[in-house]
Amino acid sequence: MDLFDPYYLQQLAIGLSLGMTYALMAIGFTLIFGVLNVVNFAHGEIYTLGAFAGLVLITAAAPPIAAVVFAALAIGAFAGFSLERLAFKPFRRFTDEASLKSRAMRESTLLSSLAVSIVVREALEIVFGSQMRSVPFEYLINTPVRVGPVILVTGDFIILGVAAAMLIGLQYLLTRTRIGLSIRAVSNNPLGAKYVGIDTDRTIIMTFVVGSMMGAAAGILVGLYYGAIFPAMGFVPGIKAFVAMVMGGLSSIPGAVICALILGISESMATTFVSSGWSDMVAYGFLILTLIFFPNGLFGAGRERV
Amino acid sequence: MTLRLAALTATAVVGLSVSAHAADVKIGYQLPLTGDTAQYGQDFRKAAEIALDEFKAADKPFKVEIVFEDSRSDAKEGVNIARKFVDDKAIVGVLGDFTSGVSMAAAQVYKEAGLAQLSQTASHPDYTKISKYQFRNIATQAQEGPYNAKWMASKGFKNVAVIAEQTDWGQSVVAGYTEAVKAGGGQVAFSEFFNRGLKDYRSLISKIERAKPDAIYTGFFYEDGAQFLKQLQQLGVKTPVYSTSAAYSPKLLELSGDAADGLHLTSNFLPTNPDPAVQKFVAEWKKRSNGAEPGQFPAQAYDAVRIMLAAVEKAQPNPTRESVRDALAQTKDFPGITGKTTFDADREANKELTKVEVKGGQFAPVKE
Repeated sequence: MDLFDPYYLQQLAIGLSLGMTYALMAIGFTLIFGVLNVVNFAHGEIYTLGAFAGLVLITAAAPPIAAVVFAALAIGAFAGFSLERLAFKPFRRFTDEASLKSRAMRESTLLSSLAVSIVVREALEIVFGSQMRSVPFEYLINTPVRVGPVILVTGDFIILGVAAAMLIGLQYLLTRTRIGLSIRAVSNNPLGAKYVGIDTDRTIIMTFVVGSMMGAAAGILVGLYYGAIFPAMGFVPGIKAFVAMVMGGLSSIPGAVICALILGISESMATTFVSSGWSDMVAYGFLILTLIFFPNGLFGAGRERV
Repeated sequence: MTLRLAALTATAVVGLSVSAHAADVKIGYQLPLTGDTAQYGQDFRKAAEIALDEFKAADKPFKVEIVFEDSRSDAKEGVNIARKFVDDKAIVGVLGDFTSGVSMAAAQVYKEAGLAQLSQTASHPDYTKISKYQFRNIATQAQEGPYNAKWMASKGFKNVAVIAEQTDWGQSVVAGYTEAVKAGGGQVAFSEFFNRGLKDYRSLISKIERAKPDAIYTGFFYEDGAQFLKQLQQLGVKTPVYSTSAAYSPKLLELSGDAADGLHLTSNFLPTNPDPAVQKFVAEWKKRSNGAEPGQFPAQAYDAVRIMLAAVEKAQPNPTRESVRDALAQTKDFPGITGKTTFDADREANKELTKVEVKGGQFAPVKE
């Protein structure tokens, strides 16, 4: 068995591109978790909303692709803001110390965000129907590109570029700007941040806006990549992003990206040895192994949050 | 107390005798209206409404109502709905569910209660074996598998890869086809299952190609089919692909574009069929769906509803669950838009299959 068999190279390339689509989703997801320490279950629906916003614009005006991505970003920002207002803000109503420290108070948002996600998904189903909707072919980013013995598509490079830009941009935002500084302060110690005069509400809203813009951009890109947009499309990527986040140590964004890539490669490689029907087991298997052997995640221990 | 009871009984008896001529009845329809497979259930409901509206327009001496219940393609939910339908004494027959898995789970309840169940799509061979109350209006994989195996053998494909979704139905696709190929002395090079809703088939495609098959036989629905075909094209794979009638949907062409060209599959419904009954349904369907053409599944649902309505009509003036079942079992040469339907002793509708090839973005019937 030659490891440099083009077959394995092709599987590796497929795995990397699969991993990039997971990473795209995992970045925003992890950012929001890092600040609030709770899972935002509606992130998958933000992704779907981004995809639908792009599709609606494509059908209505046939604009250039950059405009489509900007529309998705705008909808993402608006959706993030509304989501925070609807599902998260009401649980920060009480500002006494006991409530701020209460886990129960924070974890209630697990359910409120889940509720928002169900409402959004069903609403999209009512408006658009649950059929997969096709994207006009000229917008698809899946023209094959041959690189040596391996076949990739244009979307692989676009997604790689966007994910890298997101990661670098986010690192810049978090480490070099004032808003980034306050995001890191709130994620480290919300109460302390409040006491030193940081507007925690505003910071949390900003985190949601930025995280959701990334989620929405991921949605439209993956939608154009696979050429199918439908209300339930956010569910599976949401799970994969969640696994990548846990593996990466819950609040490390670069960790989540690396683990998303590991996940993608493992899934495509696993298809070689086991039936494709079992490839989802890889993600769940990794989740269990991480929880047992690396409770802090692969990249979580001893790092600063976010 | 006794008096009141007697009075009640008397009213009930009078009530019964009034309804003795041409009783109003209800038909239950369990189908996924929300969730991952809602698009199919929504289509079935639309088809059922067309059939019911036509029935009402025909001015029959009795009224029929269809009660739709959303099973979300969840077996537990399907069983709950079945119990609900069984408890409603006005319901004399049931249509649905969509998937074989849910239909078979609900079938256990209908079997106990003695209520006829007619599914428009459950094609798992074991479904009708559950009891004398299970009927279907679709070709089974035990019928399609050998048909396609023969078709592919006639093209000279000896070494075939088989893939199907990981469901009861998908397993029957692989089993039906593999048995037929082995009986004919051929061989299956490769068989594998994938999870429904998988987005990226490229790993699987690379694996199939490594087995170097002459052709690929597939058990998928249009969503998975479209992704598979598109990615096959992306990877530059030219191996011919054959599929079952389950993939026959205009949405397949819409989603996959020219990647679907050259796909071979079977069908029992063609919207281009000049038969006036077909054209009437297609016209009505387009009116209700912004001009979109119906696929094979809605056509099967439309026929299933009409077959059920005909059975209810036959069982008049006083239809019971048992008499509706018997009337259903006697269905012979029912002229539907998916061909003539006759239920055999095993309550199977032996549908006539047509060979179809995708050419220039259209389903075109082919002889060979």
